[in-house]
Amino acid sequence: MLPGLAPDIRPMNQPGPSNQRWMVAAGYVFYVAVLAAGYYYNLTFVQLGIIDLGTRLVGLTASQVSGLMAGFAVAALVVAVVTGRMMDRTGWSSDLRVKLRILFFVVAGQTLLTVTAPLVGTPVHFIVWVLICSATLGVGMPVTFSLMIDLIPIRHRGAVAAVVAGLAFFTAAVYPLQWRLEEFAPVMSMLMAPAVVVLGVLAFCRLRLVEVWSLQHERFGVGRFVRGAEPGAIRFAFWISVVLMFSVFFIDSLGFLRIIDTPVFIYTSWQSPELGVRLFIGASHVLGAAMAGVLYTVFGRRWLFLWILGLFAFTHLLYTFQLGTAPSGIDPPLSLPFFYVLAVSFYTTLNFALWPDLSTPANIGIRTGLGVGIAGWLASFLSTSLALYSRDIGLSLLEHLRYVNALALLLAVGYPVALYLRRMRALAILRETS
Amino acid sequence: MSLTLIPLLIAALLLASGEQGVDTVQLMLSGEHTVTEHEGAVIVGESTVTIPSGTVVPGPIYVIGGELRVAGEVAGDVTQLAGTVRVEAGAVIAGELQHVAGTLTVEDDSEIGRRTSLNLRNPEETTPGSGILPRASLALLLAAVGYLLARKRPIALANVSTAARAHPVVTLTVGTLAFLTAISILVFMAFTLVLFPLTVLGIVVGLLTLGYGLIGWGHLVGTLLPIRRRGSATALGVVILTAVLSLVSLVPVVGDLVVAALSLSGMGAVLVTYYGVAPFRPEPLPD
Repeated sequence: MLPGLAPDIRPMNQPGPSNQRWMVAAGYVFYVAVLAAGYYYNLTFVQLGIIDLGTRLVGLTASQVSGLMAGFAVAALVVAVVTGRMMDRTGWSSDLRVKLRILFFVVAGQTLLTVTAPLVGTPVHFIVWVLICSATLGVGMPVTFSLMIDLIPIRHRGAVAAVVAGLAFFTAAVYPLQWRLEEFAPVMSMLMAPAVVVLGVLAFCRLRLVEVWSLQHERFGVGRFVRGAEPGAIRFAFWISVVLMFSVFFIDSLGFLRIIDTPVFIYTSWQSPELGVRLFIGASHVLGAAMAGVLYTVFGRRWLFLWILGLFAFTHLLYTFQLGTAPSGIDPPLSLPFFYVLAVSFYTTLNFALWPDLSTPANIGIRTGLGVGIAGWLASFLSTSLALYSRDIGLSLLEHLRYVNALALLLAVGYPVALYLRRMRALAILRETS
Repeated sequence: MSLTLIPLLIAALLLASGEQGVDTVQLMLSGEHTVTEHEGAVIVGESTVTIPSGTVVPGPIYVIGGELRVAGEVAGDVTQLAGTVRVEAGAVIAGELQHVAGTLTVEDDSEIGRRTSLNLRNPEETTPGSGILPRASLALLLAAVGYLLARKRPIALANVSTAARAHPVVTLTVGTLAFLTAISILVFMAFTLVLFPLTVLGIVVGLLTLGYGLIGWGHLVGTLLPIRRRGSATALGVVILTAVLSLVSLVPVVGDLVVAALSLSGMGAVLVTYYGVAPFRPEPLPD
């Protein structure tokens, strides 16, 4: 029996167990579809499309776009936190129907922005467009990430997060071929238009399916890491996770934006003309996500953080080694992007499952708003703007990656040391009290 | 870079690290290259490397795949572990030309300082029966270790086999991840030359872990046999397992995948139980 299915949550006039079973399963499908499509949109259109729009189509310099990207991140974070807090105070966090309605307006707004993006031609239009985009995405963040407490039981969160991450990254790796706004916009618009219709039906029509879904948070809404834990310990765990995830997102974007600027790296991996290479990248993402899903379910977040930090440190070591030693004209081996995508899939999977597992239905809004806002968006876009700035001032890729590598190594070493010291302190306190 | 190249790469690095005056290594992994000058040793991977006529390069050169064409002069040694070496007319290899495996073509009017050959059998010339002896030896060695472990450390062995049986997805995941990262780190360390002894140590530990994992699986097979004695059951289980794996590996692609999955799962089981010290218990999750 699916864990979400329980006789005590089913009103008398509701469908029988077999019908309810597929409704619960449909919740999984809905969650995966929303999150995977949303993340694909974020990976392609938002992260790469906006840069292309600002620099190539509007004609701004890289520094100007980097400044705007930082502003975009801060605006999205503020909106996400305000929305999250409001969701918790009004009780919308545990009201699925309200969340679906908000999501409907977010996706509808984002569809309009996507369709109009190629028409943006002046810096003023671009700034207005970016501000509206950050506002809608800020609202969407806590709403979409909090859907997990309504639709996915705790036991399956690692696996479902892995499916979302694997699907989004695989698709992004294989299509589109060119990272240009003209490529992204039509694909996104075609995807989003039917999504708006489906969301509209789910949000505004009285469906038994949504009624079943909306009761599920009573069963598994309280996250895995907050059950039986002291409030102080939960707060500590949450903020440590925010800091760690911020660091991981920061390192990733800081390195990646410069790597994809370098033809010898990008045309032999993410933008290779050979489909086989792109499929390899996509399959590696799927493999990484699957591994992360298993590790998250079985070992918890600490082990996964250790692997992520270790993988990032090793990956950047490989890149700096390649840059520092390989003669020019030699293609880098595929092991470089392989380890990179492995690390990225690991932390993305963790990002989907972690915040709901550190929350309850009463605070999922603010926790996901802060978690995804600070760790995901703020970190990504601050480092993106920093990467663009470093390119603009002429810092070589090797020098740039040395800084990234230093940061990654510092975290990879510092985290286990901090865990060890914490354990040592706990043991010392235990000995004193006994 | 294909995985089959890694053992040869490590062997080449081992040879290079023993060479006097070699501090750096240049690896040609893919593409076509013309070498007119270089520092340290050169390793030819899956690429085509040409030393053109009229140029002198110091060497040593190690060929582990691809093709090396010598038209000019190599002042040092050339060692061929695999791939193709063509020494063209008028070319000079002042040092030693060591042929271990692969295709070697030497034109009559070329000049070779010293020529040696190990005459290892070409893998293409092997027959299905030729691998039986090494496999049988390995099976017997594992069986003997399994016998001892089952008698002296039965709980440790039980912990490993239980983890592999009860949590195949987890052990396969941990094993695969550990293998992929470990092999890359070891190759990376080998490139530094200074850390080469650590690479060798890592490979030994890795092989022992892999063997321990297979013994764990063999122990599991042994529990299904109608034999009371733990040691004998495990030993026979290991022999049966290795025999079955040898047969399965004859099936193209799928057979190799099955063997790899079983080996990596065993390796993962060893790791998650801390080499059998503690039983593996996943973090409890609410229903």
